[in-house]
Amino acid sequence: MKPSTVKINPMPSRFKHQVPKYKVTRSNACINCSTCAKCCPYGVHERLEGHNKVRPPIDYKCIGFECAKNDFYCVDKCPRKALSVSLNPMYETLGDYRWTADMITGTWIMAETGYPPERTDLEYNVGNSGGGFDKLRFKFPAVHPKIDKFEVSTEIPLNRRNDGRANIVISTPVYGGGMSFGSVSLSTMVSKAHNAAIWNTFTCTGEGGYPEMLTPYDDHVITQVATGLFGVREETIQRVNIVEFKYAQGAKPGLGGHLLGEKNTESVARMREAVKGSPLFSPFPFHSVYSIEDHKKHIDWIKEINPKALISVKVSTPNDVDMVAVGSYYAGAHIIHIDGGYGGTGAAPDIAKKNIAMPIEYAITKVHNFLKDEGVRDQMTLIASGGIRTAHDLAKAICLGADGAVIGTAEMVSLECVRCGNCESGRGCARGIASTDSVLADLFNEEWATQRLTNMYHAWNVQLVQILQKFGMRSVRELVGRTDLLEHIDYSK
Amino acid sequence: MPKKYHIDTKITPLELDFIYKFSIERGENCINCGKCTKVCIYEVHKRGRDGDPRRMAQPSTVTCRNCFRCIQECPRGALEKSLDGDFLNIGGSYWKPDMFITLWKQAEDGKVPVTGAGYRGPFTGPGFDGMWTDMSEIVRPTRDGIHGREYISTSVELGRKLNHLVFDDNAQLVSKTHKTVDIPIPIVFDFPYEKLAANVKTGIVKAAVKLNTFVILSAKDITPDIKGDVQNIIPVVPYKDIDANQDLIRSVRAVAFEYDEELEKSLPSIIEKVKKLGNILTIVRIPATRSVENTVHRLAQIGAEIIHVIADYRGTEIGTAGGEKPLLSRDVIRAVHLKLVDERVRDEVTIIFSGGIAMAEHVPKAMICGADLTGIDIPLLIALGTRLYEEPEKILVFAEGIETLSVGTIMQRMVNLMGAWHSQLLEVMGAMGIREARRLRGETGRAIFYEEIDAETFGKLFKKSETVSL
Repeated sequence: MKPSTVKINPMPSRFKHQVPKYKVTRSNACINCSTCAKCCPYGVHERLEGHNKVRPPIDYKCIGFECAKNDFYCVDKCPRKALSVSLNPMYETLGDYRWTADMITGTWIMAETGYPPERTDLEYNVGNSGGGFDKLRFKFPAVHPKIDKFEVSTEIPLNRRNDGRANIVISTPVYGGGMSFGSVSLSTMVSKAHNAAIWNTFTCTGEGGYPEMLTPYDDHVITQVATGLFGVREETIQRVNIVEFKYAQGAKPGLGGHLLGEKNTESVARMREAVKGSPLFSPFPFHSVYSIEDHKKHIDWIKEINPKALISVKVSTPNDVDMVAVGSYYAGAHIIHIDGGYGGTGAAPDIAKKNIAMPIEYAITKVHNFLKDEGVRDQMTLIASGGIRTAHDLAKAICLGADGAVIGTAEMVSLECVRCGNCESGRGCARGIASTDSVLADLFNEEWATQRLTNMYHAWNVQLVQILQKFGMRSVRELVGRTDLLEHIDYSK
Repeated sequence: MPKKYHIDTKITPLELDFIYKFSIERGENCINCGKCTKVCIYEVHKRGRDGDPRRMAQPSTVTCRNCFRCIQECPRGALEKSLDGDFLNIGGSYWKPDMFITLWKQAEDGKVPVTGAGYRGPFTGPGFDGMWTDMSEIVRPTRDGIHGREYISTSVELGRKLNHLVFDDNAQLVSKTHKTVDIPIPIVFDFPYEKLAANVKTGIVKAAVKLNTFVILSAKDITPDIKGDVQNIIPVVPYKDIDANQDLIRSVRAVAFEYDEELEKSLPSIIEKVKKLGNILTIVRIPATRSVENTVHRLAQIGAEIIHVIADYRGTEIGTAGGEKPLLSRDVIRAVHLKLVDERVRDEVTIIFSGGIAMAEHVPKAMICGADLTGIDIPLLIALGTRLYEEPEKILVFAEGIETLSVGTIMQRMVNLMGAWHSQLLEVMGAMGIREARRLRGETGRAIFYEEIDAETFGKLFKKSETVSL
């Protein structure tokens, strides 16, 4: 599958207004001459037929200060100097250090258009966290060979063991993170899977069962075996090409999952073979695993049940994550998926998100080098997740040593998540993404969501290809471990 | 197996306007269509301004959870949201505005704060923010954390311990062991100098009783009404006034003295004097000034049982010389701990650390750095709606009407806060696979320090090799 064959269609926001970056103020000096309405091509100012007043400015449509260079800039055009443009205080309530308002807005634009934003006033590639990816920059060479974008491959193989199991190749080095049915709505889950099929990549069921509605996308689904074993049955293992053992997750390293009673609706309970309305805990860790040998026993069991499937092992990022990765290699895993402490989409204790386990940036380097020293790096696929927010984060993760990445929050933001963080409270997500509430979960349909995700994946792929072109590379596989192509804004002075 | 320690939390709201983060304003172009009431699931928007159901009331922004639904769906774009001014003004660079909201909420419901969508703060920060705790994927002694079957003990011991035991030729113990006191959480309340309303003071004492920990109060604040709970109070007594306070000292389990050079000279005789009154533990309170570790070491050598190192309320050392950068708690505690380890006396004394313990995570982190337990003050006051401002200087503003709160409510809110902190401590310990809080002490190998890992990873990769000039 070639990324260039993916169909991009504009898919606008579901809401009437978007979150404005600027505020356009019209003072009392306005004489309602409607010059502004005539000159603004973005539709900020509007005067309805037959009305004698211009309507209040529609802030979110304004492109901001960079408009000053245009000869239609309303502030200059207004004969009474009644208009002014400023930063909107509302913008400060959107986003945070890791996902800035610009990054969220940028991702929304990608999901809407399928391309990186054309606006130059958004810093959407790096966040404001002051560390990790946010301090790394690419060192693009001044001259590079001209490579046509259609010649650049973003494919990566997932099975490098040559063990006769499925030789799976994904067309873009990203796939969707595990979000269980129960934690997100069915339309979210199905659209993630549909998008994975469009992009010839994967999505993951998380720990919460395997809804029948995913059947058309079975070849692009990873099913998870986690500590609670919710919804794990022989036939679910046999349906897929990749089975993932989840030992831990970045959102709450070392803690079990917890689905609140309110979210355990009838359909969720049936899927998980549990009692409706009761909170469901996944214990931590696997009660049958005390060693790498026990772990191997688990992997052998899955391999026996599904002779073609690849095995992925998802772990968090403790001090000894490198040792765990090598152990997983010896136990027979194909993919080691490391999930950094700052990531995650699901509800988790704040204390765990902030404090437990190291950020992914350090862990990638650690694991990549350790596997290399052990002489097994070529036989493992190293997937990073937990804080991969943008295409630039993805490319930096690959430079640090990952083969590809798993994303969760970026997918949610494409579906217009505002990262308010109230996924778990009461009826769940107010925006209908992470909710099984009958009213809220109907806020968007699968078609809308699939196209938004496809568009966002497209924009990322466009950016990744541009980065590879600038480095003169024909395949994303050439980028793996190339830390020499990065610089750090503190150290590389 | 000992009975599992459990903190009974109970939802206890306060009828009081505290800090909230978002402020929503309804513009004049609102057409009172009521769309916002339909889309908001948090009941911010309601009809009935001035009793008129045709008009929309002012938004009740206290309950706003920042979902943007009303903002984005208002047909006229008439709603505006911003960060609330009070929110932006409260606290300062250490006591961040968000802390007030989370502490307030924990005091109300006693629950571990939980949110979705990953971490949202800065990558790293000064002091405790520059460290992560470790976790264990597979092999670990504990199971299930707070929901579990296995017991994770958070209790710690206060008192002096022997370096080793001595037996005689008949294998009889010759050493005289010291008395120690166990408390079930590694937290004591520390209020020797704050002027507290009577009901607040009593509430704090009752909370200490309920949790079975201690509250440190000035001897003169121990009024007759709290005398009955004196077993959970540690009075701070001027060491020259031991004789005048004999009755009080006899009735308590531990007594504290403020450090000065004079005290250091006469510490052995002071301890002896106290021990004559009963088997009572002694604590020396010492400000965390530069090189405090040397003083702590000397005190340990001359028989101090418990040493309470007190940093500034923002978690920095005290009295730093002009122009110098003050050390942060994290490094002060590590210095004290390592000095005592180097001198081979660490196990003999108990170290309490206080100053800047503001969030649940600070407790395990202070312990990992080398404290046996921590002392807290300001979070308990924030639980009652107290506002703190760091600039231009530390100001505590107690909530209006605080003196009318019932002792029961005050106590329950503090118990709730500690219940939430205790659960969070269990989360951290469970993830680390540590079964006993006393084993957290000094376990820096189970923590990840920002400076170290960043230099080891990015420093190694990206630092330009310096040219050496001979």
